[in-house]
Amino acid sequence: MAGKSGRSINNVPKSPVKQMIFSWEGILVLLFIAVNIFCANFSEFYNLKSLLRQMPVYLAEIFLMLPMAYILVLGEIDISVGSIVCLSATMACIVSNTGAPFIVVILAALLVGTACGAVNAFVLTQFEELPPMIVTLATQIIFRGIAEIVLGNGGSISVTNTEGFSALGGKVGRIPYILFLVLILGIIAAVILGKCTFGRRVYAIGTNRLAAYYSGIHVQKIRFIIYTLMGTISGLCALFLISSSFGANTTTGNGFEMDAIAMAVFGGISSTGGKGNIVGGLISAFIIVCLRVGLGQRNIHPQVILLIIGVLLIGAVGLPNIVKEIQKKAKMAK
Amino acid sequence: MEKKSFMKKLTGSREALLAVILVLLFVVITIISPSFLTFKSLTDMLKNNAVTMVMSLGMLCVMLVGGIDISIMSTLALTGMSIGMLLKYDHISSTFLAFVIALAIGIACGFLVGLVISRADVPPIIATMGFMYIYRAMGYLVSHNGEWASAAALGKFKDFATTKFLGMSLVIWVIIFCYAVFFVFMKWTTLGRRIYAVGSNPSAAEVSGINVKNIKLLVYTIMGLLAGLGGALQVSIYASAMPDMQQGGEMDVIAACVIGGVSMSGGRGTVLGALLGSLILATIAKALPLIPFFDQLWLNTIKGVIILVVVVVNIVLQRTADKNALKGREM
Amino acid sequence: MSEYVLELKGITKIFPGVKALNNVQFQLKPGEVHALMGENGAGKSTFIKVITGVHKAEEGEMYLFGQKVDFKGPKDAQEAGIAAVYQHPTSYPHLTVAENIFMGHEIKKNHMIQWKAMNEEANKLLKQLNADFDSTAEMGTLSVAQQQMVEIAKALSTNAKIVILDEPTASLTKRESEELYRIVDQLREKGVSIIFISHRFEDMYRLASRVTVFRDSQYIGTYDVDGITNADLIKAMVGREIKDLFPKPEVKIGDEMLRIEHLSRTGYFKDVSFNVHAGEIVGLTGLVGAGRTEVVESVCGITRPDEGKVYLEGKEVHIKQPSEAMEKGIILLPEDRQKEGLIMSWGLGRNVTLPTISKYAKKGFNDEKTERDLAKKLLEEVDTKAVDIFQPASSLSGGNQQKVVVAKALSQEMKVVIMDEPTKGVDVGAKAEIYAIMGDLAKKGYAIILISSEMPEILGMADRIVVMCNGRKTGELDRGEATQEMILELAMEKGTSGKGAAK
Repeated sequence: MAGKSGRSINNVPKSPVKQMIFSWEGILVLLFIAVNIFCANFSEFYNLKSLLRQMPVYLAEIFLMLPMAYILVLGEIDISVGSIVCLSATMACIVSNTGAPFIVVILAALLVGTACGAVNAFVLTQFEELPPMIVTLATQIIFRGIAEIVLGNGGSISVTNTEGFSALGGKVGRIPYILFLVLILGIIAAVILGKCTFGRRVYAIGTNRLAAYYSGIHVQKIRFIIYTLMGTISGLCALFLISSSFGANTTTGNGFEMDAIAMAVFGGISSTGGKGNIVGGLISAFIIVCLRVGLGQRNIHPQVILLIIGVLLIGAVGLPNIVKEIQKKAKMAK
Repeated sequence: MEKKSFMKKLTGSREALLAVILVLLFVVITIISPSFLTFKSLTDMLKNNAVTMVMSLGMLCVMLVGGIDISIMSTLALTGMSIGMLLKYDHISSTFLAFVIALAIGIACGFLVGLVISRADVPPIIATMGFMYIYRAMGYLVSHNGEWASAAALGKFKDFATTKFLGMSLVIWVIIFCYAVFFVFMKWTTLGRRIYAVGSNPSAAEVSGINVKNIKLLVYTIMGLLAGLGGALQVSIYASAMPDMQQGGEMDVIAACVIGGVSMSGGRGTVLGALLGSLILATIAKALPLIPFFDQLWLNTIKGVIILVVVVVNIVLQRTADKNALKGREM
Repeated sequence: MSEYVLELKGITKIFPGVKALNNVQFQLKPGEVHALMGENGAGKSTFIKVITGVHKAEEGEMYLFGQKVDFKGPKDAQEAGIAAVYQHPTSYPHLTVAENIFMGHEIKKNHMIQWKAMNEEANKLLKQLNADFDSTAEMGTLSVAQQQMVEIAKALSTNAKIVILDEPTASLTKRESEELYRIVDQLREKGVSIIFISHRFEDMYRLASRVTVFRDSQYIGTYDVDGITNADLIKAMVGREIKDLFPKPEVKIGDEMLRIEHLSRTGYFKDVSFNVHAGEIVGLTGLVGAGRTEVVESVCGITRPDEGKVYLEGKEVHIKQPSEAMEKGIILLPEDRQKEGLIMSWGLGRNVTLPTISKYAKKGFNDEKTERDLAKKLLEEVDTKAVDIFQPASSLSGGNQQKVVVAKALSQEMKVVIMDEPTKGVDVGAKAEIYAIMGDLAKKGYAIILISSEMPEILGMADRIVVMCNGRKTGELDRGEATQEMILELAMEKGTSGKGAAK
């Protein structure tokens, strides 16, 4: 019965180069260059050397952006990650102080993170009607609450055996391990989301959950995996945090969820689901890191940097909408 | 049979159920620690939770239209810090003027949030996250990079919280006034009902000629107004202003609403529910140190567990109700 | 004063890519019930939205009581005395009945809403309509029929002169329909003019004095109900003899593929049994809400049945997820293309390959080249009118979107294809093409279950017809013996003892 009308449907894709230049990622790359030029002019100390030296403090949050991007693409949100980081860091410190080998400490942090993520995942998949915002709000309070209980009245803990953590904060030449790890995980996350079946399904769920389900996608299974992984990565983030602060307290990881969401959304990943990619998120994350390092070198207070991030975030999401609205009105007037 | 219908009424009305829970909490706590149920203890409790209680009303409006606002405590810090600095450097001294300025700043902040959400179509969580950073940083800038306005600097202003009228602190009168106004506003005025209508079915509201965008702008402005009021109250009650005050406190406000039965997806929620929700949270916070074994450290965990249990039980009840309704369908 | 309360002339409404209304006209006499008929997609709904001010027509004029009017929005129409009751009530589920009735014109005193007065007034209106619920009930807890009653009460409360009923009986039971007829009579006695849209001839004969027919976005004619026969009306609506619409091929029926035995799901359907063979098309029909979709959803694992068994090729299967159903060879093409069938913002190619993407992925990586080739092949196979496989599904017409949905089923080896209302909202030309595809599938040996409310479609395409009513199977008819009347009788609410409840 093929093609009764003999109609032929084109299946040759357009050149990807052209698409890339006019995309949000293209704009972000330009912005990244602009920010670096600005920082170099703003601070005399700003160069590759100082950047590599001061960067690691800010890099740990980029880990969180990766799974957060998946959750946002699903059209959902997880605001408990900062608390998971706090609880994992606390537990890792405690385990480390018992004198356990460092590999056990690493496993403990990852395990605690994974368990927390699994709690979110369990509640969200068992009671799928619940908005993720409210569930993760509750677990945000719970996870940090448990850390508060564990930490007791002092509210903080330091690692006595810093050897392992120091090694984690090490470098190859001038390049810190964490930068390698961020890039490797970033590439893996980007490839899975952009090129793999799993990623395609995540986009499908985020764009139209019902249609995805009818098309035979295990919606709840995929949600479970992603929320659990979010926890695991939070544990990883906690380990690297300890490697620079050698301790944890009740405010560890405070606001990290917001930073991770801000990086992703500024990178073009829509919080309403189905749009954006990890590459954009990574570029925007590095723009923010460079800004922080550059402005920080001239003693600009972190709050001011947050203000700039806030303005960028609202502008990045709001301006395209306003432009679209104006275009629509102009069309109507015609 | 009668008992069943009573139970049905109880589970049918969210507010009745919450009231019963609140009374039970009171009874249990009074048995453990009789000093709880005294006038002073109760008014202290209200005073300490005044900020959350007042701001729950704004969050109620925001959540009714299906939105959320996590920038409120930054607005509070900005307004509180602004009047704190104005008082500290003797630009103003009148308590009344300080309140007016706080409210004005709050309204401006809320209006801007509302504009971005209703006109530029930015999802509420993203927009208010951005403003959470922005207003917090502005509060910090206002404070000349981290100065505090301490009790001595505040002059007469801090007396507002200690002044009594008819035996109760003015702060408590403010709470009562706000709840009374909102009770009337949400139930008896068309504008209040428009907020419900927009939350219940935005497209139907659009078709019946309600300006959905303006209603959204309105609720965030109301939220800003109450955050401004919260800022003034906070500074007055704690007799100090600092740029990082109430950081993370927005979660308490949202929690109070959720426990009070306000739905995250809009359309459902009452002033009474918000009141009971915030009272339950306040009571638990107050009671925890009185109970042996538990101490203040457990507060957050218990709070979180309560929220989780409340929303999960809600779903379970809803599922059973749906199932029972189906069983009754004749075939 | 003009002869008509409402007159529309030369109305043309253009949506991106389609002329939804092409130079149509309409006249409504005072105090008459005027039926508006036509196939799905004929432009009735768009026309109603032009009258109620939701859409603005590009061309044409509208006269209300002889005065030319130009509605800027729905509010203008409401104020002019036009009220519409939609098939799916557009109400506020969280608010009370009284509030829903008085939304926009609340009873106020000193700017305060007078709840007591409003509730009493609402109860008065509800009593007029013989409603069995109170005005303080929450809207969301009411049945569709009750909600429609509220909408009618709302129309009464605004003293509407013209009431538009858009397929009001589509999801009502027989008894509820009778109640609605009574209300419509009551409205007419009050001097209200009524426009009544329905697919049911029964509604038209019972209520209307005149009928206007639209076809393919055009005005066909206005007839006196007493002076037109069923056949003439169908011809006016469809525009051709029905026969050539249904190219049903003669196919040798093969082995039994799917058998459902005593399937029940509390509140949705009870004790439903039927089977389908290879190469056979089984029509599953009944009124909307009879439980047809719910049955097949249970078969495909979208919901779980409480009781009963499903056999695939003689072996019992327990399907818990749509993905399992597909692995076993059963696919459901859902009714709602935009919400369930397709991802509208995605390209056609990705939509087609979504269910099977993992089959030709290499170690988890998408093989985009194979994917594109397959999408092209399948989309051409179902003869989709598209330029390339990257254009979004939303850019296609309803009929072509449906073809893409069908292509999704072809992307893998299937045994049983279940099509739920495949021609809903599809124009006549595309309908015939979809029927042709259906026939081809049967020829290839697929077992097909066709769910449809459209009588001609069921009669034209199905080898066997299973009729459901109110959650139960009320009968099974062979192609040869089935007539429209027999099906209707089985589909209407009656005793469930009908013949052949289980064949």
